[in-house]
Amino acid sequence: MEQFVSAFFQLFELTHLLFLFSGTLLGLVVGILPGLGGTSGLALVLPFVYSLEPSYALAMMIGVLAPTTTSDTFPAVLMGIPGTAGSQATVMDGFPLSKKGMAARALSAAFCSSLMGGVFGAFILSISIYYAIPIIMAFGFGEQFLLIILALLMVGALTGENFIKGITACILGLIIGSIGSAPITGDLRFTFGTLYLVEGVPIVIVGLGLFALPEIVGLLDSKGAIAKALKNEKGWFRGIKDVFKNWFLVLRCSSIGCIVGALPGLGGTVVDWIAYSHLKQTLKDNSDIGKGDIRGVIAPESANNAKEGGALIPTLLFGIPGSGNKVLLLGGFILIGIEPGLEMVTTHLDLTYLMIWSLAIANILGAGLCIGFASHISKLTLVRYYILAPVMIVLIFFATFNINRDWYDFIGLLGFGLIGITFKAFGWSRPALLIGFFLSTKVELLSYQTQAVYGLTFLTRPVSIILIVLCFGTILLLLRQKFKQNYSASALKNKKSQIYYVLILLILPLLMISVISSLDYRASLYPVSLCFISIILLMVIFFVKIIDYNKHRLLKYSIVKFVNINIYEQNSGFNNQFFYYLSFIGYLIMNFIVGFPIASVIFINTFIIFHDKRDYKISIIISFVLLVVLWFLSHMLTLQFPNGLIGSLIDMPWWLGGELN
Amino acid sequence: MFRFFILLLAGLFAFSLNAHAKVDFSGKTITWVVPFKEGGGTSRFSRFIEPFLTKYLPGNPTIKIMHIPGGGAIKGSNYFQKNAKPDGTYIFGCSTSVIVNVATGNPLVKYNLSSYKPVLLLPQNTHWFTRSDLIDEAHDISKLQKRKLVLYGLKTPASADLFHIWVFDKIGIKGAKPIPGLSSSGAWQAFQRGEIHLNSQGAAKYIKNVKPQIEKGKILDIMTLGLVDANGNISRNPLAPNAPTFSEMYEKVNGKKLSGDDLEAFYSIAAAWSQASKSMLLPENTPDDIVVVYRDAAKKMVNDPDFKAKATKVLGPYPLTVGEEAGAIIKKAAIFSDNTKKQLNKVLKKHKFTYRVK
Repeated sequence: MEQFVSAFFQLFELTHLLFLFSGTLLGLVVGILPGLGGTSGLALVLPFVYSLEPSYALAMMIGVLAPTTTSDTFPAVLMGIPGTAGSQATVMDGFPLSKKGMAARALSAAFCSSLMGGVFGAFILSISIYYAIPIIMAFGFGEQFLLIILALLMVGALTGENFIKGITACILGLIIGSIGSAPITGDLRFTFGTLYLVEGVPIVIVGLGLFALPEIVGLLDSKGAIAKALKNEKGWFRGIKDVFKNWFLVLRCSSIGCIVGALPGLGGTVVDWIAYSHLKQTLKDNSDIGKGDIRGVIAPESANNAKEGGALIPTLLFGIPGSGNKVLLLGGFILIGIEPGLEMVTTHLDLTYLMIWSLAIANILGAGLCIGFASHISKLTLVRYYILAPVMIVLIFFATFNINRDWYDFIGLLGFGLIGITFKAFGWSRPALLIGFFLSTKVELLSYQTQAVYGLTFLTRPVSIILIVLCFGTILLLLRQKFKQNYSASALKNKKSQIYYVLILLILPLLMISVISSLDYRASLYPVSLCFISIILLMVIFFVKIIDYNKHRLLKYSIVKFVNINIYEQNSGFNNQFFYYLSFIGYLIMNFIVGFPIASVIFINTFIIFHDKRDYKISIIISFVLLVVLWFLSHMLTLQFPNGLIGSLIDMPWWLGGELN
Repeated sequence: MFRFFILLLAGLFAFSLNAHAKVDFSGKTITWVVPFKEGGGTSRFSRFIEPFLTKYLPGNPTIKIMHIPGGGAIKGSNYFQKNAKPDGTYIFGCSTSVIVNVATGNPLVKYNLSSYKPVLLLPQNTHWFTRSDLIDEAHDISKLQKRKLVLYGLKTPASADLFHIWVFDKIGIKGAKPIPGLSSSGAWQAFQRGEIHLNSQGAAKYIKNVKPQIEKGKILDIMTLGLVDANGNISRNPLAPNAPTFSEMYEKVNGKKLSGDDLEAFYSIAAAWSQASKSMLLPENTPDDIVVVYRDAAKKMVNDPDFKAKATKVLGPYPLTVGEEAGAIIKKAAIFSDNTKKQLNKVLKKHKFTYRVK
């Protein structure tokens, strides 16, 4: 209790508040920009936090995560598109309300219930910490192993549109994660003699590549919805009153958010829908729902902020991330030297409480800022994507370089970027891939450790049985609900390329088997068996796609039908996105030649002027401001910019990419 | 004659003063490369030393600690080998794992550790202990020797944990079986859950986590590695003065003194694992006058009352090694004799590891 209070006062030191505040601001911004969410935001911050004190870094990371589900309401209500995956259900009633001229009411109700939900989540988290020690001690190797396998299954089954594709993505993630030195024998797997791959690609690079890059090209490709800013709207107070009138609904949906958030794989994507359908089921008269009922905003918004508190429970206690952004949070823990598990509730209890307070305060801060500066913040939705995108790319490159100061990281970034873009375009789950990647080493080690201590008897331990029952129960329940929404895949044009993509994915396991099967069995058993599983799954997907493509009579069988649900991704636009992706490669090559600062100026100006010549003034101002900011940052971080070819030939000042000394 | 002698002495004195005066770091920035992440033991060690070093180096230079983690400390170490200038503006923060990479012949190692110039060594020590229901009384391992399966945590055989395999082999715990992939804190948690039987910790964790449990009667001491001095004498660890050292345990179990190949291997292991646990080195080819300036600064630092007051708490109760004798220890730690390597490979083979010391 004493630590609980002292953590509170620690947080109110100026520097802590400053980091929390700047994190919250960034979180608000990435929440507003459609597509970008907590995962991309954290990936952008991580390269800079590792040089901070752990408590500052934690305050900042939580600050980024917490308010994204608050500010994502802006685009949901104003434009009818969700800012993050967590506000899809908010659109249902929020957008109609805004069309009726009640945008302010909808927004203030959303922010207020976000605040309540977020604080409630932090409260539940702090209670669960209190009871954590016996729970952690009850989880031996076997239970941890099961917990991870079940988490992977759930993530795989639930984050993708098609559950076999989701599980396959998980396994591909596990395979990619096994690249590097084998944890048991130290044999080098799939490293091709490079030191870079010995430790594997850094998790931040994978996160940036899989999430940030695809979302940015996605934004560019979407051409932008009709945005509108708030102008002196009224009804702010009414929205807040609505929330207090429906306090019981807020409480129920926050509880739902907490519980669902604690279950891996659910948190990010479906919690708002679960809260929304709960609302629908419990109302006597639900005829207004979907046409602009304020309760349709309150329910999902209180749930999607409460889920953060719930989701932190497995993250802190077991190191098992339930969603993409928790993977990066754990990656951040590793960077600042904190190991999740027992230490979080014993020796690092102060840091845990600091996180809980940060979570509560970031939620309050985020909602406060959103209400107080609503008309200003809403203008962010007006920014044209082709102006925003190059700036984001430059920031991502800067962040990437700051991780290891290693050119190879850019190859990793663009490599995972391509995987991310194609995964998104062809309907493969990126969170599943990321979580598989992150947990791979742990899975391998735990399988050996469990085997050495228990053999197969671990399956009969009481906690294990409870876990297995819980997991399959949840998966069945949710699969039933989720896959009611099947869209007809018959009209898709790019079916063929989606079929080819499966064949491309097959290359990875095949290549892996051929390269590493000659190693000692303790180094090769794990990746090779994963490869075989993934090959089988990929073949299944391939054949079901072919069956669907040819409208074969096998399609009548219910098992084939079931596998076939949503097996094709309906969104297209891969070609455009790939074109944008190529421009990033061009930017990287420019970096090689002229160094980072000059390349960035050229990139931003060309990119913006290419889209609209009239914006040349904006592009010049932006690139100038960016140079000043980068110069300031690099000074703070004593970071030398990537040195281009020219920089090594001509003597240049170091802030332009010359030698430091 | 006497006068001449005095003059000569005075001249020498003046000369040596002059030589010292030439080394001046005022206005310079010294880069201390630490091949680990922030917050780790070596990082803490260097951050603790840094202000004192600034105080005692001529010219009070700024010292910047640069963390380059990765590749099992190889990345940062290779970086240091490639980029460090031998003019006193680069320092290397070394630890057991950096040394073990060299001693075990890791092919990725590009750094020439045995010709670096050591300034300061910080010893650490290992405590072995077990659950109180597994042995009859402290320091008595007869029950463990008879047990079919004695599980313990092992990070990877390519790390310093490799020495556990050798140690347990030498004291006749035949059922010893490593559980791979457990970090030190992971192994401690598994030990507390009762999943593994043997555990070991360094001084800091021993005081903080293990001692309270010993007082409650849940854990019993087995032994410590023991402290080795410059003459090769092995003494007990002041933190657990009742616990026998490895060599005492060896004698009790095998009925003969630790000697021959076993003693040679023990000296190498103790040098890498204990004596040179954390260290501060200058790059190869650093001129002697700079090395001397550094060693002088280190000596003054060790005698600083402020340092003395804080060091026991931050760095542990073991005396720091400064100067020439540090060099011998690093060499012993980094260059394992063929006999020692053969011994280690024998126990690796016995426990079915494919990894070999090269």
